[in-house]
Amino acid sequence: MRTLALIGLVCGVSVQALCAQVTANVEAGITDVQYDGFLASGAASISPTMRWQHPGGRGFFSARGTYLQFQSGRRSIDGSANGSWITPLARHWRGELGAAAGASDYANIASFSHGQVDARLHLMDEDRGGWIAATMGRSSFGGGARPVTVVAVGMWLLGTDKTMFVSLDRSFIGDTAYTDLRSSARWRRDRIVLEGVVGARVWSSGGGRGVFGEGSATLTLGRQAALVVSAGRYATDVVSGSLAGRYVTAAVRLGRITVRTPATAVLSGNSRASESHSSPSATDARLEIETRRDDDVRLTVYAPGATVVEISGDFTDWRPVALSRSPTTADAWVASLRIPRGIHRINVRRDGGPWMAPGGTTRSADDYDGEVGVFILP
Amino acid sequence: MILAALLLMTQVAAQDPRLERLDPDTRTAVAAVVDSAHGAGLPVEPIIQRALEGATKGAPGARIVAAVRRLAVDLGTARVALGTSASAPELEAAVAALRAGAALEVLAHLRDLRRPPLTMALSVLADLVASGVPADSAAAAVLALAPKARDADLVEFRRAVERDIALGAPPGAATSVRLNAGALDVYGANSAANNPNSPRPRSRP
Repeated sequence: MRTLALIGLVCGVSVQALCAQVTANVEAGITDVQYDGFLASGAASISPTMRWQHPGGRGFFSARGTYLQFQSGRRSIDGSANGSWITPLARHWRGELGAAAGASDYANIASFSHGQVDARLHLMDEDRGGWIAATMGRSSFGGGARPVTVVAVGMWLLGTDKTMFVSLDRSFIGDTAYTDLRSSARWRRDRIVLEGVVGARVWSSGGGRGVFGEGSATLTLGRQAALVVSAGRYATDVVSGSLAGRYVTAAVRLGRITVRTPATAVLSGNSRASESHSSPSATDARLEIETRRDDDVRLTVYAPGATVVEISGDFTDWRPVALSRSPTTADAWVASLRIPRGIHRINVRRDGGPWMAPGGTTRSADDYDGEVGVFILP
Repeated sequence: MILAALLLMTQVAAQDPRLERLDPDTRTAVAAVVDSAHGAGLPVEPIIQRALEGATKGAPGARIVAAVRRLAVDLGTARVALGTSASAPELEAAVAALRAGAALEVLAHLRDLRRPPLTMALSVLADLVASGVPADSAAAAVLALAPKARDADLVEFRRAVERDIALGAPPGAATSVRLNAGALDVYGANSAANNPNSPRPRSRP
């Protein structure tokens, strides 16, 4: 409880800024899909996505569109958006109010739209929790609108690099009703994210029934690019009008961009930290640390234009150690040293100049009117 | 006799060949601080390192002596917070956290919440504050993670905050977001295929 109270403290107090975390990307891919009752077809797709997240964790808004060009020449287009406002944590409880809307159109033949609001009550602990939810709204196919009601219950488990959900929901859309039991998981390690969902539709009247499962693998190529491969079978979503089918998709995701809303005026300045992450200039140096086995650590300093690069730190008894020029990477200087775990202090000097705190470390004032770089070796 | 004993202790410390890099007066003063710390059961290696750092940077002897004295005092303060069983790396990390602005009570609280070693938790706390995260926010975040997070989790948390800051997020916001990232993942999990945080794969027609 104390921990959760602290989380609440961080949520509610630490950030009063009008700052926002916005990510946006575009996914372009090719797919082979077979909707139930139709022939298999190839398609090309493009999907822009945007997500805004309150920096204090009090809500989010996301929107996504998809344009599909089928092998047959027909096209499908859809767009949807959803958002939630999340209450501050009260003991173990949090509330969430959300709204979602979307529309889709296939070849000017079939069009759907829906809008709904939902309320959730979350019971949360540090690494597990659950929720109950109720959703109400409308879904229309062509001109006829039908009421939507969904009740759901679920639980989740969080690990360091994995997340698991289990949910059970009962949906009523007009005279269609069905129950979905779904379990999903996500596992992340370094640049790879694996996601999967398995489920079953039961007690169905007009919504189909059976099992479904999907999986995807995302390989991050950099800050702004990723490869995504996904495949599986999914159930009909009567609310949004997506027809059950099976598919294989390969896509490139570009532009996971974080947009900053300036808010430095209300938070403590961080110019040094920002500088430490900037690209090295002709008078700068940036440190990269690679831990190998035991205490063997490879230090790489990127120092464009330098002819001599030295480091000095508590792991060298503050004796300058000249680095060797990397045979493979331009402007890179390397050394392998034995450095124990923990917090360390380091300075870098290029061409016999002043000792400076390299980028890639946290800069802090030393006791000698200068700066020292601090890094953690896990 | 006392003087003789002090001289003897000073000589013992001064025999550390690394201190030969200091001028004689500075070496004597630093050795005295080292001996005093040793006598108080405090780790001496950080003190020696701080002196060597000053020597490498060409600092005047007086500055070096002042720096090591201050460090010795801070190590003693850190030990009060962490207890006599705290290891040298823990105390050194605690000093960094205290100097960064963490309160003594936070260190004591951390000791109560987390099994030793606390080195990484303290290092992450110090590093967050040095990155510009407000001290109270950094402390709250580390204390929230402390009971169950592994050292690797803390480091990953720190890296995530660092990435966010590098991408332009205000440090406090980055910390808050990362602390809540797991919790946010659960929202909308059942309703939004277009939610980028949804566990449902998005790349499907």
